[in-house]
Amino acid sequence: MKSDFEEKMEKQGITRRDFLKFCSVMAATLGLPAGGGKAIAQALEAGTRPPIIWLEFQDCTGDSESFLREPTLINLLFDFLSLDYHETLMVPSGALAEKSRQDTIKNYAGQYICVVEGSIPTANDGVYAMIGGRTARSIAQETCGQALATIAVGNCAWDGGIAAAFPNPTGAMGVKDALPGLSPLINLPGCPMNVYNLTATIVYFLTNNQWPALDSQGRPQFAYGQEIHEHCPRHNHFEADRFVRAWGDQGHQSGWCLFMMGCKGPRTRHNCWQVKWNGGINWPIGAGHGCIGCASPKFWDQLSPFYNPLPDD
Amino acid sequence: MPQVFLPLVANSAGSPTSQRIVIDPITRIEGHLRIETQIENGRVAEAYSAAMMFRGLEIILKGRDPRDAWIYTQRICGV
Repeated sequence: MKSDFEEKMEKQGITRRDFLKFCSVMAATLGLPAGGGKAIAQALEAGTRPPIIWLEFQDCTGDSESFLREPTLINLLFDFLSLDYHETLMVPSGALAEKSRQDTIKNYAGQYICVVEGSIPTANDGVYAMIGGRTARSIAQETCGQALATIAVGNCAWDGGIAAAFPNPTGAMGVKDALPGLSPLINLPGCPMNVYNLTATIVYFLTNNQWPALDSQGRPQFAYGQEIHEHCPRHNHFEADRFVRAWGDQGHQSGWCLFMMGCKGPRTRHNCWQVKWNGGINWPIGAGHGCIGCASPKFWDQLSPFYNPLPDD
Repeated sequence: MPQVFLPLVANSAGSPTSQRIVIDPITRIEGHLRIETQIENGRVAEAYSAAMMFRGLEIILKGRDPRDAWIYTQRICGV
């Protein structure tokens, strides 16, 4: 006898096997012990659908694109979530778009998740990003302030990102600086953020009714606890002084270490090496380019020029 | 901080046949777009579009290593 949940899934072309695979991928991303996937499956089958308001400010929509890169994952996720507001994806425009956001805030105060993509400009009273005639900061204050939690996706929503790079012409800030004291606030930096980490963060909450443990920078430990360099598949070449010294040289063709070509893996904590990108196909170092350090604080200024090797330390 | 506010509907005073309609945000596009239309006798007489977000990437790029330019400009639009 099939449960309602299974029937609903099957209608969307998602088999029981797909669903259980999703749960075990989530358990692996979260670093849960064996059996973790089963606990996730049970919680998701029983769960409700928290609404999501996805705000875009000074952004490039890259985080939304990253989010949409995994159609199977997203189809599954939308069985557990209701995306009520997302400027790039929603049908209503203008005043009706604003109404969707207001309705969710009013009807689900303290129950919806607010996702923020892009930085918040603060120079000149915040005129550099205005939606529906209002500044990004005032929309963020209203929406994040009444949310169950705020998830800042991408580097821009975390520390201001590229808009805040020198000389920061618009006074761009991340959510943590534009709305000081906001809690709970989960930061998922990366340019863009990785869809697995956003999904795993939400799945962790739906399973445990609490948010994953954060590091001192407000990032989940499961995704930002380990340095890329330590887990790099090219690390043995680093230890053996086998470096790529020019693009296309013998070392590059042999998959040697990219440190001398400016790889920022030794300064970056992220789980790219584990979850990868574009449906788990590959990641920058796997494709033969160094890491640019996109999950590191202020990487646009502090880790550039990107093709110069890091100083010895 | 003073509140900056742009009116969404600003009907022209004194004329029943003239109306200004603002659609902000225009959704299902990348970026933040605002369209204002001036309507006279039921027809759109004038239309104005405005990009409502600015980051200043041209200013940010100045003085940087030219080899890095593609990494910055790639972030203009992520779609």
